[in-house]
Amino acid sequence: MKPNNFILAALCVACLYSCEQPVGVLQTSTGVTIQYPDQLEGVEVLEENLIFTNAATGEETDVPVRERFSLPEGLYNCVYTATITYRTTSEGATNRPAEGEAGDAHTQQPETVSREGRLSGKLEAVEITGGQPVTLTIETFLIGANDDFVIQEIFFTGTLRPSGSQYYGDSYIKIYNNTDHVLYADGLAICESRFKSTQYFDYTPDIRRDTFTVWAVYVIPGSGTDHPVQPGGSLLICDTGIDHRNANPNSFDLSGADFEWYDISTEPDNMDINSPTVPDMDKWYCYTKSFWVLHNRGFCSYALARIPEDKETYLRDYYYTYEYTQYLPAGVFPMQQSAYKIPNAWIVDGVNCSVEAARVWDVLPASIDAGWTHCGTIDHDKTRYFKSVRRKVAGFEDGRCILQDMDNSIEDFNTECIPSVIEEQGTAIDAQGTKAATRTWDGVMPME
Amino acid sequence: MVTFAAFLDERGMKRLYLLVVVGWICALSAPVAHAQDRAGATLRGTVHDAYTREPLPYATVVLQGAKSYATVADPDGCFMLRGIAPGTYEATCSYVGYAGRQVRVEVTGDTRLDFHLRSDNQLHEVVVTATEAQGPVAASRIDRTAMTHLQPTSLADLMELLPGGVSRDPDMGMANTIGLRETGTTDANGNASSDPDYAISSLGTLFVVDGAPLNTDANLQYSPLSNTYGSGSSTGTEDRRNITNRGVDMRTIATDDIESIEVIRGIPSAEYGNLTSGVVNIRKIRRATPFTARFKADGYSKLVAVGKGFALPGQRDMVANVDAGYLDSKSDPTNNLESYRRLNFSARLTWHMPHDGWNLRWEAAADYTGSFDNSKQDPDLNFGRIDEYRSVYNRSAVTNNLAFRFPSIAWLKGVDVNSSVSLQVDQLTQTRLVSPQRYALAPTTTEAGEHDANILFAEYMADYLSDGKPFNSFFKLKSDFLFTPGGVSNHVKAGMQWDYTKNFGRGQVYDLGHPLSASGNWNARPRAFRDIPALQYLAFFIEDRLTHAFGRHQLEVLAGLRGNMLPGLDKAYAMHGQVYLDPRLNAQWTFPGIRIGRHELVASLAGGLGRTTKMPTLNYLYPDKRYNDITQLAYYDDKHPVEHSRFTVMSYVQDQTNYQLQPARNRKWEVRADVTYAGNRLSVCYFNEITSSGFRYMGHYAPYAYKDYDESAIDGSTLQAPPDPATVPYEWKSKLASYRQAANGSLLEKQGMEWQFTSERIKPLRTAVNFSGAWFKSVYTNSMPVYYPVSDVVDNMPVSDSYVGVYDWDDGQTNWRLSTNLMLDTQVPEWGLIFTSAVQCVWYTRRQQHVKDGVPMAYVDVADGQLHSYTAEAQTDPVLQHLTIHYNEASFQPVTVPLALYVNFKATKTVGKHLRIAFFANKLLDYTPDYEQNGFTIRRNVSPYFGMELNVTW
Repeated sequence: MKPNNFILAALCVACLYSCEQPVGVLQTSTGVTIQYPDQLEGVEVLEENLIFTNAATGEETDVPVRERFSLPEGLYNCVYTATITYRTTSEGATNRPAEGEAGDAHTQQPETVSREGRLSGKLEAVEITGGQPVTLTIETFLIGANDDFVIQEIFFTGTLRPSGSQYYGDSYIKIYNNTDHVLYADGLAICESRFKSTQYFDYTPDIRRDTFTVWAVYVIPGSGTDHPVQPGGSLLICDTGIDHRNANPNSFDLSGADFEWYDISTEPDNMDINSPTVPDMDKWYCYTKSFWVLHNRGFCSYALARIPEDKETYLRDYYYTYEYTQYLPAGVFPMQQSAYKIPNAWIVDGVNCSVEAARVWDVLPASIDAGWTHCGTIDHDKTRYFKSVRRKVAGFEDGRCILQDMDNSIEDFNTECIPSVIEEQGTAIDAQGTKAATRTWDGVMPME
Repeated sequence: MVTFAAFLDERGMKRLYLLVVVGWICALSAPVAHAQDRAGATLRGTVHDAYTREPLPYATVVLQGAKSYATVADPDGCFMLRGIAPGTYEATCSYVGYAGRQVRVEVTGDTRLDFHLRSDNQLHEVVVTATEAQGPVAASRIDRTAMTHLQPTSLADLMELLPGGVSRDPDMGMANTIGLRETGTTDANGNASSDPDYAISSLGTLFVVDGAPLNTDANLQYSPLSNTYGSGSSTGTEDRRNITNRGVDMRTIATDDIESIEVIRGIPSAEYGNLTSGVVNIRKIRRATPFTARFKADGYSKLVAVGKGFALPGQRDMVANVDAGYLDSKSDPTNNLESYRRLNFSARLTWHMPHDGWNLRWEAAADYTGSFDNSKQDPDLNFGRIDEYRSVYNRSAVTNNLAFRFPSIAWLKGVDVNSSVSLQVDQLTQTRLVSPQRYALAPTTTEAGEHDANILFAEYMADYLSDGKPFNSFFKLKSDFLFTPGGVSNHVKAGMQWDYTKNFGRGQVYDLGHPLSASGNWNARPRAFRDIPALQYLAFFIEDRLTHAFGRHQLEVLAGLRGNMLPGLDKAYAMHGQVYLDPRLNAQWTFPGIRIGRHELVASLAGGLGRTTKMPTLNYLYPDKRYNDITQLAYYDDKHPVEHSRFTVMSYVQDQTNYQLQPARNRKWEVRADVTYAGNRLSVCYFNEITSSGFRYMGHYAPYAYKDYDESAIDGSTLQAPPDPATVPYEWKSKLASYRQAANGSLLEKQGMEWQFTSERIKPLRTAVNFSGAWFKSVYTNSMPVYYPVSDVVDNMPVSDSYVGVYDWDDGQTNWRLSTNLMLDTQVPEWGLIFTSAVQCVWYTRRQQHVKDGVPMAYVDVADGQLHSYTAEAQTDPVLQHLTIHYNEASFQPVTVPLALYVNFKATKTVGKHLRIAFFANKLLDYTPDYEQNGFTIRRNVSPYFGMELNVTW
């Protein structure tokens, strides 16, 4: 718009609207309908919260849920959270379907109990324009109170050598017991998403709503009680559990890690190193014959899962093929891929990663993670190395950290932190070898 | 196929050569001896094209006076009439397609008479397009004038003049290989790709310069990272320029010293062999020319060329030509990191020596071509890396041709002896900063067995050198005979050819401990090229060109047979002692002219059927050994990584030679029609050719045993030195590993229509219309089942270590293309102006991937190394199910790209006596409409390509 046109337009608007209105911006009457999960009965809302964030200005507006409100026109993201009570049937009955004929004296009658839970839902890139009244519908998901491990930290970017070239092998994932009781890590799977948050395709069959498509599944070994983790304790799970400073002086020592994902290979061409000091994870499946590294530009999502099937059954029955079409300037390319799948119900925690400039969608649905986190803001961001995403500390209880777990990694994670292991060891934080001098609980909150 | 096994042991070979040589001496001495002393005068002379100065073979010369005499010129346009009674005669020279010439000549003693005939098509103008050949063989001829107008940078640019050709922007960052009568392979994005599996297409095109072939069979300039063996981990910089097994890189051929090029698309004469696709026959300028200098500049390149043809003083028929040229180009005008330069020099001597009863034409040449590829990584993008790829090619060649003509002998027309030697000094160097991830292992030995690997702890600079010195020598002997039993004229050609090629280079030179890549280097070891045996090629040929008139009908038949063999090949090869016969037949029937209006309509039908054979290259016959190395002990000591870690590997040295390899053979047939009316000419050709035994490298899988050590038994705290493997428990295991063999596994099927129409010049507009085009359907596929390893790892075990599927699939594609080129050629000789506008249309291109069944027909099991059928149970096995590869059915649908139309302008203007300015603008106008594909709109962008040049002549 030329300046004089703009002035003209502004004058027109000023004539039409009262002087209290911001000049030139239309207000739109907006209403929101909350759609509760189908399987929940007797939902009663105890507390709820609806926030609209203007995508252009970042301005947050807390709006009432049950009434219409007006917003300046623009592009918005909105997040709904609520604490509710709902009725559900008792666990014994749901886990074991009724057997035998109706009227059998032994059949258990479903017992109805009332539970407290949290709901979360979101809408992205909502256009509120034109001054016409808008009514939005937000689908919500029940966020189960997590009684298992959470992802505390993901260090996927890797480090740089003094020459400036990338170094892989020192990436890690830290998991944390955020509960008040002992947890066993045996059988816990770490999975990397097959799909990238920077490319969106219409997959056929589309099972994304309730299934996580993965291309790497590594499982912590054990019989069930071999690897207890105390409340407030964490496990360091790394790529290669050696002191990496021998290869790259800018890296750090992972020889004390709890587990490593070792990729057995007899090919000297692409050899992984099996640390004598760190136990290996059980590699159920991986897409590559060489070694698995976390996506170091941060496009993949990660999840912890408890797979209820035995290994052989899982490997046989959960492999599927999907098709999609790739649209490129050069033409249209029908594609197909095969991968393993993890039903969302098995996932105990998940984190979406992306970069702002390239992000297209969130691989894990809002029921697992309503947000996403990042290191770097553009693809191939050169500033991302030596940085990790770390879960925020919500508070302290009995001397242990309580980590924030809202199932929304925008809220839950600090981004681009100095990795905890680098802080502990005081090793390099850049290619020049500058040493880390800070100690924090979560990348931000300093330790005394 | 005839077995000459008994004949061709080493002694037998010598005997054969002796036989051939003695035979020729007998053949030569007999006629020369008795063709002496006849009464009367001798009239001798030559017949040449008035403009190009090319000799016109088999032109008819008739003397009419008191008595009549007649003769036919020889293949070099020389004729001689003996025993002529002194007197005055009308001498008439006639030649098809040329205006006849009649001169009065007085014969008193021995007299010389040279004819210069003007082509019907070029009475005053010059030909700026390719001309379709007149004879029974489908060929295009490109003359100096067309080259001047097109303003090429290299021979590759001239390919747009062939039927179906469209102009392309130069791509100097890759090897420009030839693809005759085909669409070429394309990658998933529809871009032209150079797939090494179908390299036979360019490898099988023979390039001949002044009678001597450009032999590329001993080119071995590649690194272990290249795609030479069908799979590689190169970044593409090398693969784009790698010409091993791919024939001639047309970038290296400058056009400024070329007089004419004949591209034989059809079935070539039996004289040409060791080819499957066709022949590019280059004749260099061999005539007196003024000094010419050419300066060309366009967005990609700058070119300077100078040349002169000296008529040597005192020797009327002796001409020396000297040319030099320099090209400096970039693959992308905005990228200074990738460059291509070429330097060429040529000196040629042509001496025509007439004698009594015989003539000798001696053509000698010394040529040098230097070709320099350079590519660097962008330091801003690659952590300040200094990674560099350089490829230097220096070819020096000496050619010596002797053409004897015997005008006085009725049945022996001539004997030609062609020979050449060439030496290339090629160096491919690569420098890379290698950053091992974690730690990398490097090989330490070239021996089989168990040995330690070298642990690479830090980044290092790797240097690689491939030092190649391919040497070629070529010898060809050919005689031309004429028999006319019962009035049927039989021109018979017979001869033999012998090629010897060997690479004397130091080969792949690098430090095994610091290889070019920390991953992907293990299957190779340094190898000296000079240890590779020489490759010899021997061929004989015989061909009859029969011409006969049936009333006013004219029949011309070209029937030939060529035998190809590789003498000196080891007995272990199936090709040892085998002679591969190429029968070839071309025929043309010309109907009597029908008078329509003021002009005659002349029509002819032609057809051909023939076989051609390309022998494997040095690399296909003697591939590098493959080293299968398997990690056995992998002990990394975290406390003392340098002192106490130990990695041992089991090495297997796998000979990859395929002793069963056969030559690639092509079967071709075609029919053509040619109609001429009032200076307008239309020729149409349908062709169909198939090569089912094209070369490609194919993978094979076999189990290899190794010791799997239990490293957990090593107590690191007690170690004083690296652990001794003898003290570590182990278990014997085996895994599948691959090796690659050259095989006759590629199938290429080419068919299509080609046409060319040339109009008479429309006088008021001074414009001639030229409309050429082609429709091609090309099929590229494999002719043998394929092993394909999947990359999945299931339950800690790479699936392909235990099972590899064999797929009876078709990895191929079928491509279609219809393209036309409408050129308006306007010439105003009095203004010295030639202006052409070309409308080039690619009406459509279509690509279809062949349907693949992802279910393997069988799989190799590591347990026994045998093939097992892939049953229904296997498809549900947790591990074996991964061998089933799913394909999206939609990916096998054809993809069609609609019309793309481009308009190109070219102008040449002569200014004064010494200056000529030429300008071209390709794709100045275009019509490339958006099109829909699966509901998506595809937009196409076209950017024009301009250039201009200055020619100075004095």
